Amino acid sequence: MSAILDIRNLSIELETDNGLVRVLDRFNLQLSEGEIHTLVGESGSGKSLLAKAILGFINPRWKITADRLWWRHYDLLSLSPAQRRLVTGRDMAMIFQDPGSHLDPNEKVGAQLQESIPSGALKGIYLKRRADRKTRAERLLHRVGIKDTDDVMERYPHELSEGLAQKISIAMAIAHNPKLLIADEPTTAMEPSTRAQIYRLLAKLSASQGMSILMVTQDLTAVVPESQRMSMIYCGQLMETGPTQQLMAEPYHPYTDAMLSMSLFNQDLPPKTRLPTLKGAIPTLQHMPIGCRLGPRCPYARRACIHQPPLEKRQQQQFACHYPLRDDPDHE
Amino acid sequence: MIRYSFRRLALLVVTLWLLTVFLFALNYFFPGDPLTNMSGVRASNPEAYQQQVVARNFDQSIVMQYVSFLGHFTRGDWGQSLTTQRDVFADLMPLLGATLELSLLAMILAMVLGAPLGLYAAGQQRGAMDRVVMGISLSAYSIPVFWLAQLFILLFAVKLGWTPISGQLNPLFNIDVRTGAILIDILLSDTPYKKAAIADAINHLWLPVIVLAIMPATMLLRVMRNSMLEVLQQNYIRAARARGLSESRILWLHALPNAMQPVVRQLGLMFSILMSNIIVLEVIFNWPGMGSWLVKSIYERDYPVMQGGLFTIAALILLVNVLVELFHAWRYPQVRKELYAEH
Repeated sequence: MSAILDIRNLSIELETDNGLVRVLDRFNLQLSEGEIHTLVGESGSGKSLLAKAILGFINPRWKITADRLWWRHYDLLSLSPAQRRLVTGRDMAMIFQDPGSHLDPNEKVGAQLQESIPSGALKGIYLKRRADRKTRAERLLHRVGIKDTDDVMERYPHELSEGLAQKISIAMAIAHNPKLLIADEPTTAMEPSTRAQIYRLLAKLSASQGMSILMVTQDLTAVVPESQRMSMIYCGQLMETGPTQQLMAEPYHPYTDAMLSMSLFNQDLPPKTRLPTLKGAIPTLQHMPIGCRLGPRCPYARRACIHQPPLEKRQQQQFACHYPLRDDPDHE
Repeated sequence: MIRYSFRRLALLVVTLWLLTVFLFALNYFFPGDPLTNMSGVRASNPEAYQQQVVARNFDQSIVMQYVSFLGHFTRGDWGQSLTTQRDVFADLMPLLGATLELSLLAMILAMVLGAPLGLYAAGQQRGAMDRVVMGISLSAYSIPVFWLAQLFILLFAVKLGWTPISGQLNPLFNIDVRTGAILIDILLSDTPYKKAAIADAINHLWLPVIVLAIMPATMLLRVMRNSMLEVLQQNYIRAARARGLSESRILWLHALPNAMQPVVRQLGLMFSILMSNIIVLEVIFNWPGMGSWLVKSIYERDYPVMQGGLFTIAALILLVNVLVELFHAWRYPQVRKELYAEH
């Protein structure tokens, strides 16, 4: 398998008043070309940090270490900041969960969209270039499913609905044909119908352009059927990763299992029953459990869990658990 | 935008009208005869006084008196000065020109000085130069303008002798007063010594302009720095970086225009502060403008002049504030949404 994004044992540590806190702990991720990979985790699990680390939005107070952080044939960690920005700016793009605030409030949408089209791609001289820029912008809007381009381009960001703003951010993100699109909870604030629209759009773009998408979400119901692989992350640790369908059908990790039973997929519950939950709360940054961080909340935890389990491989699925489900007769 | 402009202008008209009611009431509150206070004609001149009684409806009810007052006021008949017997409105125009010249130049200097320094301080955030700039600006902001003016006169005019102590122009040049703005008057005049006159006028101008500009410049600097720092934290700046736009493009086309927004909003307030400072400064620099004229009229209890001066300065501040607000709403469309609430 040729991974274009190859992350091995990536750790991010933050300097806090209580010393270094490891918010991302030896994380692994491989992404191949044209693949949609869904990263599922609760808020505060470090998924956004991972996205930022890939893109290189790095705060000097973060300590980033990795055995491998490779994008195609670039070792991202050894590049200088300027080179890195060049590479990520050319090959990657990101869309965010609050699209309205990621557009300049003072400029018309059309102007901003045209600005994000790289000048190198344009043809002709001055006036022709401008016309070319405009037609390209219109084509981008068509591609994200906006028909009334003239009206939308003349609007200011505050005159857009959230769904429309997200479509425009997507149009801006794909303006330079990136190889990797990171979608960081792109639909949290949206209505279900708009949400479905955005996901369908992203899946279509991936299929038609061979664009890899790292879809970051906290909601298992938001995992699109087009997603080939998915990873579960909890408190900065990779819990389980594998092909989406297989993982959803037969999880090995108790965390995946708990998340699945909590997400109310076609469950016929009688009225007023308690909903299944995972007991306890997400630990604070300063008080991360040692070993497997799920330990205190895991229904199957035993003594061995104070040591972090290594990644184990079962066919295409990988998980980090000493006592995987479907493996151990004592389990249920 | 049209609706918003209409609302602002309607507010301006209403405020100005309330101002005339206040001015009319003042004539009764001031000591002495209300008609004399209003018209500047004393009862010791029975013939002219009787004329005013009829012309200003003083033989009728107070409502009719106000109606007549408003009529005279809008026609530009603001009475005559109690001390010089000259027509207030005719006297006022050149003085207004002199004041406007001074305030405009100071405003421009404040922007030229304050905005770039604020940007510089934002760029050096928490660095040594940031602290130096912010420290100087805070101390300059804290010095009262009348004291600063005296210090500057003492230093630049008396000790160093670089500039005349006061006044607008050397009287030798004998320039006719037309607009009151000295530079424009010199250009309009047919004196053979234009260049020398301009040089002399600038020599008189620079010190008051600098003293006047310091306060608004420091305000601008602080607003500019803070808003720039805030804008640089915004998501759209980070998103622009993520799209790989060049840093200079982000700064000049996205960060700066957005950072200017609170600065523009402050301009009206800055002008108000400038106007109150200018009144003091004109007295100190013996500048023939509205401020010194108003202060003199207060000393002399010259009520018609006081009314005229008060109204003009108040109207000017109101007008500038409304214009700034209109410009702000026009340039920054997202503000209009907040103004109407969402719809």
